[in-house]
Amino acid sequence: MRRYLGYFHIVKASFMASIVYPVGTFFTLIGNLVYITVVFFLWHSIYSGADTLHGMTFNQTFIYLTLAGSVLILFKTYTDWALSSRIIDGSIVSDLIKPLDFQVQTFAQSLGFALGNGVLITLPSLLLMVVLFHGSFPLGINLLFFPVSLGLAYMLSFCLDYAVGLTAFYTQSLWGISITKEVIVSLLSGALIPLAFFPEGLQRVLQLLPFRAIYSIPLLIATSSQLQIADYFQLLLVQIAWTIVFLVLTRLFFNRAIRVLVVNGG
Amino acid sequence: MPVIQIENLSKHFRVLNRREGLVGSLRDLFSTDYRTVKAVDDISLNIEPGEIVGYIGPNGAGKSTTIKMMTGVLQPSSGTLLVNGNVPFKNRKKNAQNIGVVFGQRTQLWWDLPVIESFKILKEIYRVDAETFKAQMATFNKLVDLEALYHKSVRSLSLGQRMLCDITAAFVHNPRVVFLDEPTIGLDIAVKARIRTLIRELNNQHQTTIVLTTHDISDIEALCQRVVILDKGRLIFDDAIQKVNYLFGAFRTLRLQIFPFAPETLSAFANKLDSAFNCPDAFTVSSDESGWIEVTIDQAKVPLRDVLNLAMGDFPVSDVQIAEISMGSVIQKVYEGVKV
Repeated sequence: MRRYLGYFHIVKASFMASIVYPVGTFFTLIGNLVYITVVFFLWHSIYSGADTLHGMTFNQTFIYLTLAGSVLILFKTYTDWALSSRIIDGSIVSDLIKPLDFQVQTFAQSLGFALGNGVLITLPSLLLMVVLFHGSFPLGINLLFFPVSLGLAYMLSFCLDYAVGLTAFYTQSLWGISITKEVIVSLLSGALIPLAFFPEGLQRVLQLLPFRAIYSIPLLIATSSQLQIADYFQLLLVQIAWTIVFLVLTRLFFNRAIRVLVVNGG
Repeated sequence: MPVIQIENLSKHFRVLNRREGLVGSLRDLFSTDYRTVKAVDDISLNIEPGEIVGYIGPNGAGKSTTIKMMTGVLQPSSGTLLVNGNVPFKNRKKNAQNIGVVFGQRTQLWWDLPVIESFKILKEIYRVDAETFKAQMATFNKLVDLEALYHKSVRSLSLGQRMLCDITAAFVHNPRVVFLDEPTIGLDIAVKARIRTLIRELNNQHQTTIVLTTHDISDIEALCQRVVILDKGRLIFDDAIQKVNYLFGAFRTLRLQIFPFAPETLSAFANKLDSAFNCPDAFTVSSDESGWIEVTIDQAKVPLRDVLNLAMGDFPVSDVQIAEISMGSVIQKVYEGVKV
C-alpha cells in the first residue's frame, strides 16, 4: 500500500496547485456558462417545436451537450502540453529521477488537475445549469454506472494526451499534432454533437473507433433512461477494452521514446 | 566496493547537419545528413563511498550527460555503468531510490506550493519513515534554518533560498549518492559559502558520496579531495586536487610590480618576451590595475630565470613574486582548449 501513497500525494499536490490561482479558472467557468447558453438557444431553434430528433428529446440533447461541455473541461488537464514542454526544455529529468513509474506519476499529476477542474468548473456549471435552465438528469441506476464510466473515459483521455505529449521526443514541437487531436476527438467522440445526429454510415464507422468511449458512452449512460442493465455492462466493456489497449500501447511507446531523449545543457 | 563504477562509457547523439538560410531550412526537412556527436567518449572511473568528487570541464564537455546516465535518465551508447550495483537506465526506479539529484537550473520542488509540502511529498515518494524524516528535517533546520521557509511558496523564494531547499530536498531520503549539478550557479558569495558548509556537513553526516559539477573553482577547492576533468567528452584528469596544478607540466607564475606603470607597459612586455624567446605558447601574460604584471611560464620551454633576467634588465621592476600556478589558471587553460 505504501508503494502507492507517493502517487496519492502527487494527486493531492497537483490538486492543491491547481486551485492556487482560481482567477483564470473562474473565467473558464464563465466561458462554459456562455457556451451552455449558446447551446441552449442553438438547439432550441434546431428543435423548433419538434418533440424528438433522432430519438432524443430537446431536454436530453441539452443535458447531453452541457454535460459534454463540462466533462470536456474536466478532462482538459493540458497533459500533452505540459509533458511536451517538459520534454523539450528538459525538465522531464526531475520526474525521471524519482523512484516512480513515469506514466503513473504523470497520470497522478493530471488527475489532481482534473479534480481541481471538477471542483472549480464542472460542478458549479452543472449546478447553474440545473438552476438556470431547469435541466434535469434521469435519476436511477445510471447514477451508479456513470462514475465508473467517467473514470474509464478519463483514463482514455489521459492516454491520448500522454501519447500526443510523448511525440515531442521525436518532433520537439507539439502545436499541430495537439490541435489535430483536439479536433478529431471532440468531433468524433460526440462531445460537440451527439453521435445520433451523424449520418448512419459514419455512425457505423464511429462505433468501431475508440473516441466514443471518451465522451459518447459516459454521456449516454448519464442522460439515457431507456438502457437495460446489460446495455450498461456492454458499454463499460467497450471502455475497458479500449483502456487496456491504450495503456499497453502508450507503455510501449514510452519505452521506445525514452531512448531518444536528448536533454541539452544544465 | 566503489559506489559508482564506470567503464569505457560513451554516449553518442545523432545530430542533423543543419544548413544555412531559408533554402537550407527547407532542404533540412528532407535531409538524412546526420553526424555523430560524442558527448561522452570512452570514460572510466570509480568513485568510493563518502568521497566528494569535483566533476569539472568547460560547457559541453559531457558532465551533465554523464550525470544523466548515472541517474538513469539517459541510456549509454556503450560501456558499463553501475551505481550502487544497479544499472541505472534499466533499473531507473530502483536506482532513483538510492540517489539524490540537484540540477542547479531546474527545481524538483512544487512551484506553487509551500516548501514544507514538497518535503512531505518527497517523504511519501521515497517512503521515508516518520522517524528518519523527523531527524533529517531537524538536521536541515540546524544547518540552514529551513523552518523559516516552510510556509513560503517555492515561486516566492530567492534563488539562494530555493537552492538551499533543493539541496536539502535531495538528501531527505538519505541517499547513498548525491549528484549536484552546478548548485552554486548564479548565487552571491555569502549564499555560496552557506551552500558549501551545507554540502560538507551533509557529506559528513552519513558519509554520503557527492558528485559535484561546478564552474566555480573555489567550490572545488573548498569541498573536493578529488577532481575529475572532462573535455570534449574525454576524461583528461582524475586525481587528487593537489595534482591538478601539474596537469600541464612545470608551470610557474611570475609576478612583477613595475613602477612607473604605463598602460602600454603590458604590451611592450609581451612583445619583448616574444622577440627574445620566439616561443609564444610558453607564456600567458596578464596584468591587473595595480601595476603588477603576471606571467605564467612553461619551464619546460623557457627557464623562469631567463624571463626574470630580461624583465630586470629592460623594465623598472620594483617587486617580484614567484608562485606556483593556481588551480584556477590550469582549469582556465583546459577551458580555453589547450592540448594536454
